[in-house]
Amino acid sequence: MKHNLLTTTTIAMLLASSAYAQEAIKIGVLTPLSGTYAGIGQQVRWGIDQSVEEINAAGGIAGRQIELVYEDSEANPAVAVTKAEKLFTVDNVDFLTGTVNSGATLAVGQVADRADKLIATTVSFSDAITGSGCSPNVFRVNARAGQQSEALAAWLKQEKPGAEVYYLGPDYEMGRSTVAAFKERAESVGATSTGEVFAPLDSKDYSQYFGQLRAARPDVLYTSVAGNDTVRLFTQMNDFGVSEGLTILGASGTVTAQNINAIGAAAEGFITGVGYSVLIDSPENKAFTEAFRERNGADPDLYGADSYGLLFAYKAAVEAAGATDTDSVRAALEGLSWETPQGTKTIRAGDHQAMQPMYVVEVKNGQFTIVRSIAGEDAIGPDTCDKF
Amino acid sequence: MHDRLDISMRANHVFFWILVIVALVFAAFASFSGDVFYLRLATEALILGGLALSIDILLGFTGLLSLGQALYFGIGAYVSALVLREEPSFWLAMGAAGVSVLLAGIAGGLIANRVRGVYFALITFGMAQVVAKVVYNSRELGASDGLIGIPVIEIPLGLITLSAGDPLGFFLLTLVIIALLYSVSAYLLGTPFGRIIIALKANEKRVPYLGYSTWAARMAAYVLAAVIAGLAGALYPMLRGFVSPELLFFATSGDALIMVIVGGAGTLAGAIWGAVILTMLKSVIGSWTEHHLIVIGLIFMSAILFMPKGIVGMLKPFVERNLLRNSARQPKPEPERTAL
Amino acid sequence: MPDLISYLQFVLAPQMLNGLALGVSVILVALGLTIIFGLLDVINMSHGEFYAVGAFGALALSALGFNYWVLIALVPILMIPIGVLTERFLIRRVYDGGDRHVSTLLLTFGLGMIAEDLLKIVFGPNTHRPENPLPGATEVLGVFIPTYRLFLIAIGAVVIVAVALVVYRTRLGAMVRAAAFDRNMAASLGVRVGWVYSGAFAFGVALAGLAGVLLAPIYSVFPTMGHDFILMAFTVVIVGGMGSIWGAVIAGVLLTQIQAISSLVISPVWADPIVFGVMVLVLMFRPQGIFGRIGHA
Repeated sequence: MKHNLLTTTTIAMLLASSAYAQEAIKIGVLTPLSGTYAGIGQQVRWGIDQSVEEINAAGGIAGRQIELVYEDSEANPAVAVTKAEKLFTVDNVDFLTGTVNSGATLAVGQVADRADKLIATTVSFSDAITGSGCSPNVFRVNARAGQQSEALAAWLKQEKPGAEVYYLGPDYEMGRSTVAAFKERAESVGATSTGEVFAPLDSKDYSQYFGQLRAARPDVLYTSVAGNDTVRLFTQMNDFGVSEGLTILGASGTVTAQNINAIGAAAEGFITGVGYSVLIDSPENKAFTEAFRERNGADPDLYGADSYGLLFAYKAAVEAAGATDTDSVRAALEGLSWETPQGTKTIRAGDHQAMQPMYVVEVKNGQFTIVRSIAGEDAIGPDTCDKF
Repeated sequence: MHDRLDISMRANHVFFWILVIVALVFAAFASFSGDVFYLRLATEALILGGLALSIDILLGFTGLLSLGQALYFGIGAYVSALVLREEPSFWLAMGAAGVSVLLAGIAGGLIANRVRGVYFALITFGMAQVVAKVVYNSRELGASDGLIGIPVIEIPLGLITLSAGDPLGFFLLTLVIIALLYSVSAYLLGTPFGRIIIALKANEKRVPYLGYSTWAARMAAYVLAAVIAGLAGALYPMLRGFVSPELLFFATSGDALIMVIVGGAGTLAGAIWGAVILTMLKSVIGSWTEHHLIVIGLIFMSAILFMPKGIVGMLKPFVERNLLRNSARQPKPEPERTAL
Repeated sequence: MPDLISYLQFVLAPQMLNGLALGVSVILVALGLTIIFGLLDVINMSHGEFYAVGAFGALALSALGFNYWVLIALVPILMIPIGVLTERFLIRRVYDGGDRHVSTLLLTFGLGMIAEDLLKIVFGPNTHRPENPLPGATEVLGVFIPTYRLFLIAIGAVVIVAVALVVYRTRLGAMVRAAAFDRNMAASLGVRVGWVYSGAFAFGVALAGLAGVLLAPIYSVFPTMGHDFILMAFTVVIVGGMGSIWGAVIAGVLLTQIQAISSLVISPVWADPIVFGVMVLVLMFRPQGIFGRIGHA
């Protein structure tokens, strides 16, 4: 009898462990599906869905399928933390991603710390996330603001030596710090600053700043406005003839797939530093963009591409660690290198920021054409995280 | 003495007690099953219930529609957050938040109470928008990112000490605080001074002839509402560990207004019921479709069209009839006054 | 001295002219709002969404090949049935129950939420922009001003005068004003008050749609665009006097000029608080606004 019981227990345990192996890995995607950033949330969703289909079709992660659980963050940090808590404690997700606005990423990162889970952002580019506000449980696989400025400054040094630059940003923290960061980089490569102006977020009319802009007679304008604000700024500059003879540089979020059609011809010649372009000439990217177009009827942008790449890193980390618990996966992600349509990315262990090749792209005929590329090591900047 | 107002207020108490019992049963069930999320969501619902309660004091009792009550909720939350980051003391945070919203409420009241009706609605809307923009642009307040890193505090309550990180403990504490806010509001509205406030809604022109100042009554109601919203807001960073400018946005005020209407304006208890119902609904609908605006909007419009008194307001006559019958059965019934 | 002249010509004058274009935009949005309030006593919280519907309508119809100039007339006409249906089936139902201000405000607030989400379902979350029908700039006093803005100022003036004439000078306007002043008296004089109310609401909605068509080429089109002008438009309506057309015009010009000129001197972020401060001051000393209400003046 005793022997029998033991056998039954052993069999039960074996069954349980094989059932465990079959059980899906749950990943929470907390992204804005409604509200101001719904367009970005759509790209995140497309990118992640596509990667999961591919990973699952190829046998999943260590034999386990991925199951996604979506929640709408409404681009509101207060909603995002509640939903994050739900994903962690009710849905029991193993990993969480998708947050877009930096405020939501920072706040959700804190929830992850307290729940002892890992999150990764594929969109937020505030330097604080892997800098002053870094956390052992937060990773970022997209390029941060500093990497983008670095790439753009390298271009400026080469193409417009001694440029006279004017700065126009949205008047809120992120807009100001983006401008300040680029200004510092630009001045270090020999550019002179001719003035700066900050317009309120959601400005209806930028024409009131054109007087100051004209009077400063710059040959380069740098701007960090985004979304609908870019549409207004660029079309109004075009209408007023301000953009003639002016090279316009900007943040990676200034002109994106969400607003490039609305900006139309006024976007021509815009230059930015970014981690992705549809025109990256590699077989991986060709395969990715074709599948993306086929699946979603639209081109991927940087958000879609960075989101697509993320789960391949997670897969590699879980398979290397042989487990999904927080400590093992964290250790495996630190220093991990993996292949993406954007080239090889490496997660720096010191601050959890991904290093990747950066591109300077120019809008030509409505397409982001690559005019220069910068190696990942040259753009990453110093590790300023002191929390772990 | 049981006049109409008295009976009406006692009926509100019945609904509030039902809520407390439901909350306790839920808490027992949730802690037994080891739940964390729903307890904390329910805590958030109660906190938002405090905000809704403050709107109902204005809308349901003085007839003034505030479209910017999130202003005081947000001030309470930010002050509490700033204090907690420096000094993790529950009582200090609540005290500082209380004093700040008292002052802010007096300042806002001096502006808003110059006007009536829709002007009041629009000016409260404007005040909240302007302050929200200033917070959104202030680096010292974390600007658009808000403030994170608010510690999980230990709350000394005489004999025991409770952690804000303990879902059950903090839920019960929040329940007690909301019950206190409810009781204070109900008590104040039942005093002679509170009845002037209610009389203002019934007939504003007649009140001055009774020898009362309408301005002082209105001001008192406004400041009371501000303090209640602010104290509820002060609990928010203790629960969630952060604050962000979105707490001051119109979306927050608008949601709280929907809670009041769905629960039943002018019933106090209805505001808190509305908060609980809407928070749960939003959590469910939000996971089910990204078009929750349509669903919530439809529920809200149906409430206005088909159930203008709200859930509690609709059920209240039954309770009132019972209360009247019971008080009539008492040995020495006061003659019922039907002055209203 | 030449410095001063060039400052006036190249900085101040264009700033004021741009402020005027913005002022006309705000007035166009505020007109419908003030008419609906003045005549029906309804604060239309969904006004911004009607403005968005007009802009999206123009976008969809121009994609079907309609000429932009046709749309300026067509979209407002298409908005009329929407306005009539809204008034008949929604607004009217809560008209007489309790506080009309509060119940209609709440109802239109709910309607706005639904309309915004519907626009997102139909058109997607991203930004669109119709082609500018008048590209290029025109020289005015040595300064280049986009032609479309000059056109906007001109057509805005025409629309404002036309609306004022209809409301203050026609028999129809008299009937409407009579109904606003005393509903029962107007009814006993043979005015069909029900239709007057529907008509006035639809007129306000059509004006919101017109503003949507006219402003789309400058300010672009997206589902949440309804929130854009609404605080400014409400401010204009309050300062001008609820329901007063001329009040709205004067307040609209005044407030946008204050905004434009002050942003030359101080950080533009403070423009909103300044405009709001003006509103508070006006309410303190003249709670009924600069002008009184329609039918009451």
